[in-house]
Amino acid sequence: MTGAGSSEGIPQPGAVPNLRLGRVHRSLLANGAEVMVVPRRTVPRVELRVSVPAGSAAGESAAVAELLSMGIPLGTRELDQEQLAERLQDLGGALQVHQDLDRLTISAAALSEAESELYQLVAALVRGPEFPRDDLLIERAKLVEGLRSARATPHFPAHEALGELVYGRHPYGRREPTEGEVARTGRQALQELHRRTFTPSAAQITVVGDVDPRATLRRVRAAFSAWDGPRRGWKAPRVRATIHADLLFLERPGSVQTVVVAASSGPTLGEPGHIAFSLATAVLGGGFTSRMMANLREDKGYTYSPHARVESHGRDGLASASMEVRTEVTAAALAELRHELARLATVAVPPDELATTRSYLEGARLVTLQTQAGLASALAQVRGLGLDHRYLEQYQMELERCTAEDVMEAARKYLAPTRMTTVLVGDASALPGLGALAPVRRRRPRGV
Amino acid sequence: MNSGAATAVTTAHLENGLEVVMSPERSSPTVGVGVFYRVGFRLEPEGRTGFAHLFEHLMFQGTTKVPKPQFGNLINSAGGLLNGFTRHDYTAYFEILPTSALEMALFLEAERMGRLDINAGTLRNQLQVVEEEVRVNVLNQPYGGFSWLWLAQHAFARFPNNHNFYGEFADLEAASVDDAVEFYRSWYGPGNASLVLVGDFDPGAALQLVERHFGPIAPRPEPPEPDLAEPLPAGRREHRHLDPLAPTPQVAVGYPTAPFGSEDHLPLALAARILTDGRASWLQRTLVREREVLLHVAGGPLYPIGDSFEFRGPALFTFEATPREGVETGDAVLALDQELARLVAEGPSEEELRRARRRELARHHATTDSRLGRLTTLGVMAAVHRQPELVDQLPQRFAEVTPAQVAEAAGRWLLPEHSTVLHWLPGAGGTGR
Repeated sequence: MTGAGSSEGIPQPGAVPNLRLGRVHRSLLANGAEVMVVPRRTVPRVELRVSVPAGSAAGESAAVAELLSMGIPLGTRELDQEQLAERLQDLGGALQVHQDLDRLTISAAALSEAESELYQLVAALVRGPEFPRDDLLIERAKLVEGLRSARATPHFPAHEALGELVYGRHPYGRREPTEGEVARTGRQALQELHRRTFTPSAAQITVVGDVDPRATLRRVRAAFSAWDGPRRGWKAPRVRATIHADLLFLERPGSVQTVVVAASSGPTLGEPGHIAFSLATAVLGGGFTSRMMANLREDKGYTYSPHARVESHGRDGLASASMEVRTEVTAAALAELRHELARLATVAVPPDELATTRSYLEGARLVTLQTQAGLASALAQVRGLGLDHRYLEQYQMELERCTAEDVMEAARKYLAPTRMTTVLVGDASALPGLGALAPVRRRRPRGV
Repeated sequence: MNSGAATAVTTAHLENGLEVVMSPERSSPTVGVGVFYRVGFRLEPEGRTGFAHLFEHLMFQGTTKVPKPQFGNLINSAGGLLNGFTRHDYTAYFEILPTSALEMALFLEAERMGRLDINAGTLRNQLQVVEEEVRVNVLNQPYGGFSWLWLAQHAFARFPNNHNFYGEFADLEAASVDDAVEFYRSWYGPGNASLVLVGDFDPGAALQLVERHFGPIAPRPEPPEPDLAEPLPAGRREHRHLDPLAPTPQVAVGYPTAPFGSEDHLPLALAARILTDGRASWLQRTLVREREVLLHVAGGPLYPIGDSFEFRGPALFTFEATPREGVETGDAVLALDQELARLVAEGPSEEELRRARRRELARHHATTDSRLGRLTTLGVMAAVHRQPELVDQLPQRFAEVTPAQVAEAAGRWLLPEHSTVLHWLPGAGGTGR
């Protein structure tokens, strides 16, 4: 704790402490699955992640991939979804399935006294999900209803169109299923995709919690060693991203705001230049004191939560800057955003601002990674991208090394206004003025 | 770092009335600092709907000593996160940051408790920001604000409980600097707040820092206890809301729920788990899978922006449901009525109740593991209920609830004749009878 205040009387904090993982216990099962166990004995729980290369881009359609993840909690031949859910509740447990473009991750937790049973339940699901026909019909109805509701939001069509523009026919470019694809997807398609992508040799099994690591490794091995599957896992093909200089305006009559999203492809986590790319994106739109926040919200009052972030996929890092602005200031707000992008690419970030942004990123990671759940998810993510788990610790050092010149170079290379692909969703009355910034293409959003 | 040991909670009071609640947990080098003021949506003045939340925004606009952008910059440059949120009966401000920044966070919270800079420029700016927040979360979304914003407006009879908590734009735009100064003077004094510290600190040393920074703030008159009482409705009320953005019908049903601390309070909290929590829950089993009436159902006390503990005035036990295609919302409500009547008649099984308790225990541990989770549960118990120590006693209290108590509580509160139904339908036009 710092006692002494500065001359202005504001107490001065020290540097952000380094993230320390402690001992990470690793083991390779005979089937090729990698196990990582990290004791964190804050509360008597255990968090499990099982991650496989079965992301939403892995299926022949997004519908197959999405229904695969919705089908996992439906149980096995021996244990239907209700029995499974009851057993999990008995363990003080919960189970969720997440999917990004590349990987599917089963997240489960339980009271630590019940860890063995948790591993066995999840291992049974990983090996033999049953996808019962009747239950699958209900999941399909849920997916269709979810898609209809999502299409009624302004954000969904914006992100759908951006994916298509940036990634084209690459699997990363078709993120959302159509209702027709959902209707055509049956049990067999899910079984086929499961067989092809649930690959133990490309799987990560991560445990964080109140455990004895040696005993836990033994229990995980006992639960997962009978898991068999193809030798090679699915991997997305290389990406060739496209830049669209014109503005795509999707008409949503009566919209009281315009959703504006500008995106650009760059290095993903672990690739050279990723850290500078992330830092530049954070200066633009990360946290309370970013430039988008200061300009578009706290100065102009155009928008509530303008922000920018980098999503790290297996084959690409996608930076996106987004905001929702009231219709009448749409062009003015986009002009300010492009001004901020240009400034980032042409004027070095002042040292104070760079230091603040770095500390913000470091602190946010420290807070996220201190819970059992946060640490388990982060470990599963970095290993899923093929990085060493120590990368979580090295990240901070690399961030410290990143200079204002590195940030400007990354901004020039990836975030200049000429690099961005921009989609707007709103009422046509937002159009005046947009043509002054770039050529505008108008169309109606895709139907269902 | 003892496995599973409850972290001790200690409480102290400064002379100006500020309550200080501390719960150290030193396994990682961060602290959480939160200030919970005993004022929320319910206490905003008539003609100023949305003011409590608008005022929350003003609390980030700097003080006479630390002007606007510097306030957030200081937190971020220390590696800290900050935010705030407004609820029915409290408003919370928090920072999660490295241990070495504890004193800075205390200094800044004391600054805005004692010396907030309220001026016409920032008021105008944040009014615009709040209007964009309402547009993004309510006006430009399908089902915008659905049950949390609209159901209570029909279910309750009196202004504190039945107005638009996000605010009518006319009311927001009428807000003046004088209103803000008056609100700040009335509700943001040290005697109307609980300061909560969690994480990596030494309680003795931290209390000295608290005294140094908050001690000099002058006490303000204690606000009077508000009258929030509501008459119990006589007979079910039905309303229709037409939403041009909604693709399919949904329906919400709200029942006035048992007051905090009453004999039915914890049994109803467990009833919410048993009825709606996860695939093994009663309503998922019966209405989603067996009878195929619904696609989705969720709910509980103060759902979806609170839980069984975040209120001290009247609150609704709410269900939100999406009927299957072709099922009328009215039929979905009848099916819900039948299942609730069955819960009252048969009660949950001993097994169902045991599983609900296990879920509560696991949830308690997961919340404790997160700085923000621990901070929020402690802050609510301290500021709203003045019983911070209750946080760690809840798993034990839940263990004492019997199936008969759950059935009896449901039989007293989850009754069709006390309920309000909001049919949310595709179409143009807003709300009508």
